Amino acid sequence: MEGLKYVGKRIPKKDAPLKATGQAVYIQDLKLPGMLYGKILYSKYPHAKILRLDVSKAAALPGVRAVLTGADVPNNFKFGFLKDNPPLKSGKVLSTRDEIAAVAAITQEIADEAVDLIEVEYEELPGIFDPIEAMKEGAALLHEETKSNVLKLPWKFVNGDVEAAKKESAFIAEDSYTTQWVTHCCLGTSGCVASFDVSNNLTIYSNTQIPSLAQNDFLEALKVFGLKNKRVRVIQNTIGGGFGSKLDTYAYEYIAILLALRTRKPVKVVFSREEEFLATSPRQPTITRISQGCDGNGKLTFREIEMVLDNGAYTSWGATTPSVMMVPISSLYKVPNIKYTAKCVYTNNTYSQAFRGYGNPQATFAIESCLDELAIKAGIDPVEIRRINANEPGEVTPQNFRITSCGLKDCIEEVVNRLDWKNKHGKRNGRGVGMASLIHVGGAARVYKSDGCGTIIKVDDNGKVDVITGSSEIGQGSETIIAQIVAEVLGVGMDDINVINNDTDVCPWDVGVHASRTTFVAGNSALGAAEKIKAQIMEIAAKNLGEPVEALDMQDGVIFSKNDREKNIPLAKVLRKAHYTLGGRMLVAENFYDPPNENFDQTFRGNLSVAYAYGTHGVEVEVDRETGQVKILNYIAAHDVGKAINPMLLEGQIYGGGLQGVGYALGERMIWDRGYLKNGNFLDYKMPTVRDIPPVQAVIVESDEQAGPFGAKGIGEPGLVPTAPAIANAVYDAVGVRIKDLPITPEKVLRALKEKEGQKV
Amino acid sequence: MKKEITFTLNNEKINIEADPKWTLLYVLREVLEMTGTKEGCGYGECGACTVIIDGQAVNSCLYPVMEAEGRSIVTIEGLMAKNGELDPIQKAFVDEGAVQCGFCIPGMIMSAKALLDRKPKPTDEEIKESIEGNLCRCTGYVKIIDAIKSVGGGR
Amino acid sequence: MGSFEYYKPESVAEAMALMEGSGGKGVYISGGTDVMVLIRQRKLSPGCLISLRNVRDLDYVDTSSGLAVGSAVTHNAIAKNDLIQKRYTALSDAASKVGSLQIRNVATMGGNICNAAPSADTACPLLVLDASVVIAGKSGERAVPIDEFFLGPNKVALGPGEIVKGFAMPAFSEKTGSAYIKHTRRQAMDLPMLGVAARVTIRIDGNEIGCRDALCTIDNISNVLKRFEDEKLVCEDARIALGVVAPRPMRAKKAETALKGKVISEGLFEEIGEIAASECQPRDSIRGEAWYRRDMVRVLTKRAILRAVDRVIRPDDTIWPERLW
Repeated sequence: MEGLKYVGKRIPKKDAPLKATGQAVYIQDLKLPGMLYGKILYSKYPHAKILRLDVSKAAALPGVRAVLTGADVPNNFKFGFLKDNPPLKSGKVLSTRDEIAAVAAITQEIADEAVDLIEVEYEELPGIFDPIEAMKEGAALLHEETKSNVLKLPWKFVNGDVEAAKKESAFIAEDSYTTQWVTHCCLGTSGCVASFDVSNNLTIYSNTQIPSLAQNDFLEALKVFGLKNKRVRVIQNTIGGGFGSKLDTYAYEYIAILLALRTRKPVKVVFSREEEFLATSPRQPTITRISQGCDGNGKLTFREIEMVLDNGAYTSWGATTPSVMMVPISSLYKVPNIKYTAKCVYTNNTYSQAFRGYGNPQATFAIESCLDELAIKAGIDPVEIRRINANEPGEVTPQNFRITSCGLKDCIEEVVNRLDWKNKHGKRNGRGVGMASLIHVGGAARVYKSDGCGTIIKVDDNGKVDVITGSSEIGQGSETIIAQIVAEVLGVGMDDINVINNDTDVCPWDVGVHASRTTFVAGNSALGAAEKIKAQIMEIAAKNLGEPVEALDMQDGVIFSKNDREKNIPLAKVLRKAHYTLGGRMLVAENFYDPPNENFDQTFRGNLSVAYAYGTHGVEVEVDRETGQVKILNYIAAHDVGKAINPMLLEGQIYGGGLQGVGYALGERMIWDRGYLKNGNFLDYKMPTVRDIPPVQAVIVESDEQAGPFGAKGIGEPGLVPTAPAIANAVYDAVGVRIKDLPITPEKVLRALKEKEGQKV
Repeated sequence: MKKEITFTLNNEKINIEADPKWTLLYVLREVLEMTGTKEGCGYGECGACTVIIDGQAVNSCLYPVMEAEGRSIVTIEGLMAKNGELDPIQKAFVDEGAVQCGFCIPGMIMSAKALLDRKPKPTDEEIKESIEGNLCRCTGYVKIIDAIKSVGGGR
Repeated sequence: MGSFEYYKPESVAEAMALMEGSGGKGVYISGGTDVMVLIRQRKLSPGCLISLRNVRDLDYVDTSSGLAVGSAVTHNAIAKNDLIQKRYTALSDAASKVGSLQIRNVATMGGNICNAAPSADTACPLLVLDASVVIAGKSGERAVPIDEFFLGPNKVALGPGEIVKGFAMPAFSEKTGSAYIKHTRRQAMDLPMLGVAARVTIRIDGNEIGCRDALCTIDNISNVLKRFEDEKLVCEDARIALGVVAPRPMRAKKAETALKGKVISEGLFEEIGEIAASECQPRDSIRGEAWYRRDMVRVLTKRAILRAVDRVIRPDDTIWPERLW
């Protein structure tokens, strides 16, 4: 790909100046005329009957405009993936984040005060906080209308014959691995402003990652509220972090809508930091039983996994994470025989949701930790077992994933060389090295009916280009990537391109910012639209220059003949000529790209993604044997990205994802103690600070994915997927103890060391 | 009871009627409607609200506005030149790819600015010290450090 | 949140008069990093706030004899003070690790101590540095040894309206060094899981300190301690203080006694660690488990002493070699 001018370049983010000057408007910063402020009252208990709810004192407080309870939710409306979640609960509460009342007032302070005046009398009920307990025969049912606390979701994938393979395996490693709740910690908290016009059409300012699906959710809600045939407009303010947290619609949004409907005023609900911890949905904890085997040469023979996920009290898209867990389970390394089952279980804990990686980190932690154990049993170097079984281009995996580009082997070698694996592995002297790899969807993921994204491009009389895209900017840089692609195709400068991406009234449909799909899908969509508009431009220019279209090219906003550079015409002039003429035209092109990937069939087979992203992380650690503390001395993150459209932004994804992974591995956890969150603040949650970053190298491996825009694959999520097992493997190499329960805290390491030496703790 | 207080904000004398219970952050965002300074937690645990008071980086969410009397305060809005030119530290954050979602960035830049004003060529250790109270969830901090270093000519 | 008055007295006397006038409803505020949090959490609703930030007679660092630090001196000022770094190192260790730079720029040592959180970072250093608390009251000034100042969690020996003016520490001999180790999960913005401070005065009978070069290498710690023993490095005086592992910051007095007058050796170190661990009363909390805290008292007491000794032997070296422990 010689001669690229914009693609592949370190171009600063288009929205960075706005953000660096404080001019970007986040939901926190938005004020509409007459706007009221909402506040939500949450349950005091994780499981209780509401005996009495008295809002009279709150309603009487001067400045309060509305107080709503469950009784004010029309027609028993419920939302969520299984429609099991009412925005305001009545009768019974199932978790401490259950919303039971909400207030709208003229100031935030009054709203906060009013919520405190609401009187609630509860009858506390025994709760179930352990999914294993919840699955037991006779366990109390959280949702009485269900027959079991296990969600009716069909998570099961089988390929080949695991039992037969077990018998034939030379070595088998088997163990249990567990993971914790972790939360997104977006620096900008969740929030929205809901507003109705005179005809009851809704405009909602939101920081959602799924504007089109949210629009649909809100339309459904309005219907249930009795408002049929209305319009919903979703406008996204600058989004202060996503990471999957805004991949669903939430109670606070429906509450804002109901408050706005009641008061006929715009209502803003923005979470405090405490609420952000309490009432947003974290990554689900998992209990994984895994068994893997290999033959005498280290070739993998089977992988068997049983998993239990703590779903919490209600169901969001998080309950579908096993579909993505299947990606590494079926297809990370070549494994012929696979058996996987997963159960999502209701408990009186917080309900879980999507978080960068969407289940993949939990599954990969078990797979890659267990793979090291298997290598030890087989007497093979951990690098070697990965080399032997590494995926390759052209492979079709047990789930029928068609592997096109695949740089996994290159990623492994990058790690081996940069870590100096040969000299550092196996010393057991307090320092150690470990590695882990990943596979993730890299060419979208068809988890919805459509996996598409639309783009509209229009050019104005002055040669400026508006790119109207369905994809959202959540900080990851999609706006810039799209502009680079369009600039490259059209031959106009970055500054001539304006990307519009935050208004469902204007922007075409897109399924959302998830599955690391935006560069691939929105990029391809923009690429197609740019080619279409270019064809229109060239056609007009050809007429004006008297040259055939094939002879023309465009650079820096000037169209010229490749045969004779003197024959040229500025783009703006072409556009004016097209416009200001009898029977004139405006230049607009649209393109909808829906990738040729497949929904899973009933057996969970189908080419989920057009391409797959690979990567390997390698880490060198030092373990303090007396304190159990783990220090990362060196961190290599090698990723097969197809092609880096913007290496600078791409590195940002790897560094950022990597540090989230380090937090997941070594310290972050939400402490939910019998339904109560004990560390819902930044001081106690322990997300990494600048002092906690390891020396890190992001290594970009380019495998040129034919289906990707300019060869690119997705990289949004992979950065944190293999971090935890890579660190766990390095800890083992350093001191010979394996931590199978995340996070790898000093207490766990020290306890394991003492137990290994036969000491009592 | 509100009280009149006077202080310098971004090089301009300013006079407001302040309720003694207000924090400086509240005054900036809600009274003066200067929303460039962000609130990320309200407890001094994230640094998104960092401003410079008499040359020092301070969490404005914990700063009683009454203490602003007579002091000189610089916020993110005060860095850009009148002609729209970005401050070198702002430009560095843009050029080095240090900005993602951007919510932490105004506070991060103010912390860095306070350092660079005091120490034009800071060491790595000084850079880390200056932003250790500024949480960022997007970037992994790497390019933020690069950006601060690049202003000091240290890269 | 109800409204309140905010007073900015310029002298201690004025501040105390305002407090008296508030009918017991006033609250002193210094850097405000604790008080403002409590107000936001609605755990505190003061009748008025009386700011000590502008009281000039609380803002001093006097090194003319020993060390005297005003209560309104910020953590950052303490952390960056040359003399404190050199002669009262445990204190600068602690001050430099409090919160973040933004917090240290405003939070004061007076505030840190008067809150009397078991996790107050500067408490342990003050304990090992034999500090006394200078208190101003209606009837004049009095001094209370720091060990008697902490009464329990968030309880200190202050009468109504009294103000801590500052902290006075004696001068220590050249052969004295001190250190504070803050054990945290994160490397910044964290409270200690536990904290250990140590101060030692050593006597070296020989002329040349041969173990100096051993300290500059990454030699195994056993070998370093062996050198200490060979060269008969005697610990003449010692203080050890522990934070978070008891209802109040505490001295490990039995461990101190066991250390005093002895030749430093690996065996002695192990013993001291064990004794200190037996003296504390850690509890389980979300921030750390009791068994782990106790065990870390054992480990970190040894390390804090070693670091304090190192600071005597290598007074000009500020970098502690990275060791494989």
